[in-house]
Amino acid sequence: MKVLVAVKRVIDFNVKIRVKSDSSGVETGNVKMSMNPFDEIAVEEGVRMREAGTASELIAVSLGPQACQETIRTGLAMGADRGILVETDADLEPLAVAKLLKAVVDKENPDLIILGKQAIDDDCNQTGQMLAALLGWPQGTFASNLAFADGKADVTREIDGGLETLSLSMPAVITTDLRLNEPRYASLPNIMKAKKKPIDVFSTDDLGVDVTPRLEILKVEEPQGRERGVILADAAELVEKLRTEAKVI
Amino acid sequence: MEFQLSDEQSLLVSTLRRFIGIELHPLEDIVEQTGELAVEDAERILKNSRDLGFYAMNIPEQHGGGGLSTLDWMLVEEQFGYTTDILIRRAFGNVYEILLAGTPEQQERWLLPSVKGRRTFSIAFTEPEAGSDAASIRTTARREGDTWILSGQKCFISDAHFSDFFVVTAVTDQEAAHRGISTFIVDKGLEGFTIGPDQPMMGLRGTTHADLFFDDVKLGPETLLGPEGDGLKLALETLGRVRLAQIGARAIGKATRILDLTIEHARQRKQFGSPIGEFQMIQKMLADSAMEIKAARLALYATACSIDRGNEAREEISMVKVQASETLGRVVDRAVQIFGGSGYAKGLPIERYYRDARIYRIFDGTSEIHRTVIAKALLKGAPQLYDLVAQ
Repeated sequence: MKVLVAVKRVIDFNVKIRVKSDSSGVETGNVKMSMNPFDEIAVEEGVRMREAGTASELIAVSLGPQACQETIRTGLAMGADRGILVETDADLEPLAVAKLLKAVVDKENPDLIILGKQAIDDDCNQTGQMLAALLGWPQGTFASNLAFADGKADVTREIDGGLETLSLSMPAVITTDLRLNEPRYASLPNIMKAKKKPIDVFSTDDLGVDVTPRLEILKVEEPQGRERGVILADAAELVEKLRTEAKVI
Repeated sequence: MEFQLSDEQSLLVSTLRRFIGIELHPLEDIVEQTGELAVEDAERILKNSRDLGFYAMNIPEQHGGGGLSTLDWMLVEEQFGYTTDILIRRAFGNVYEILLAGTPEQQERWLLPSVKGRRTFSIAFTEPEAGSDAASIRTTARREGDTWILSGQKCFISDAHFSDFFVVTAVTDQEAAHRGISTFIVDKGLEGFTIGPDQPMMGLRGTTHADLFFDDVKLGPETLLGPEGDGLKLALETLGRVRLAQIGARAIGKATRILDLTIEHARQRKQFGSPIGEFQMIQKMLADSAMEIKAARLALYATACSIDRGNEAREEISMVKVQASETLGRVVDRAVQIFGGSGYAKGLPIERYYRDARIYRIFDGTSEIHRTVIAKALLKGAPQLYDLVAQ
């Protein structure tokens, strides 16, 4: 089967996020960017399917500025066969991303789409679900295990109180949870080979998708710093403080 | 002039940084406490690294290595600086390019197994009476028919107890001064070849250092590496790139790792009611460290690019060697100062970094020797070393 994975370029998880001085967003200039960790898990799952022979082709798709090519290259170095970049400098909201991905799906006709359950920058957790709705395909979100048999995808999901297993007919949309797998390191030969793998570039106009934002960001602020804790002598003092200072009892 | 990593370089660098953080950092404290890297750990990190093509990346592809350009190799070695000497040796190899000067038979027998990580070797040039003055060695190899008889002593040989063979310099012609030195490959276990006990060092825990004793060791003609009398020339030609990598790049990587920790500490540590990073005297130290690291790194990359263009860059390598190792010395000294008492205590790794850093100004040519190399070139006429227009 043909598998498509979506990869997003986000601020590296190690970076200390700084809010822009005009409160319009977070500082992204001269900041280390990496592939969204949940998308890495998606790529890893695709590569494992490719190695197991379940997948015949693995395509890594990214949407955003030209620099997203680097994110696609990371996917190619991990083992994807080719890449697609929908190049745009616009701020993309989940619905616009889902529409663009649907346009790519219409071109490529994959049997399976794997996405991270959410991106670590905006934590929206919407794209996979919206894409499945737009396509009218079944969805298995927060997958912690995936198995394929008889043209069906069995998706194990972590839900409150336990594990749930869904059987999806194909084609389908799957979003990955943290425990689905542990992404590999790209090897030196594969990093060098990734350079030669093709990346097709489209514009949002090529795909006929209107990406105009529907939301307006009013203000982005740093979370309030936590006040230093104090060590209390005994429970009586705690009760006293809860009553007089915190005024919760 | 583009000061930006390519997509591949950036991926290689971040992959290595992650590999080192996950696979090697957890072993550092254990090696520090036990004084050695357990055999099973050494085998595991070798396997994990080799499977990813991270072993012997400096050796050309046709010999089974990674085939990196000098610049790419320096980017990689800078990341190696994020861990300790012994872990770099076992995970990524220490395959000196001097073996590329060997005949196809020599490469088959000694280079190939080294590139695959099946055999390990060390360079043995230093002697009790010949450190910086490499030409004054007293180890001799005299010809007897078809064989060479090696006798003498080498000292401070890194990894001596682990290595399977050694590349050894010896005088083959007493009359010819520095043109009378040749290089031999000496297998461990030959009759008359003994290795002294480990000499514990200030830092570099886990790596052994020992004397080698040659008491009329018989060497076949196939052990002569390169032409007779070319020993010093060979060393000069092949060790420059290694020096740039193992001292220059690694020192910069180490300094970067230490500055990261220092800045974090300056943010967190509170005195007089505010983080110490808000005090100007601490700020000066942080700013100086960052400026010096950045300058040394640019010099490193410029020199690597120069080598990739085909230049020998001997004096530039010396410049980076001094600049990077002395930067590391200052950065780690400031780190101890900013960490204060906890920087001096063994509970944190800062004191270990301090001990490990000191050797950088000494091994592979002292700061003094490299300054002499630079100054001699300047006096002979080498304005390209400092003047843009003369380049």
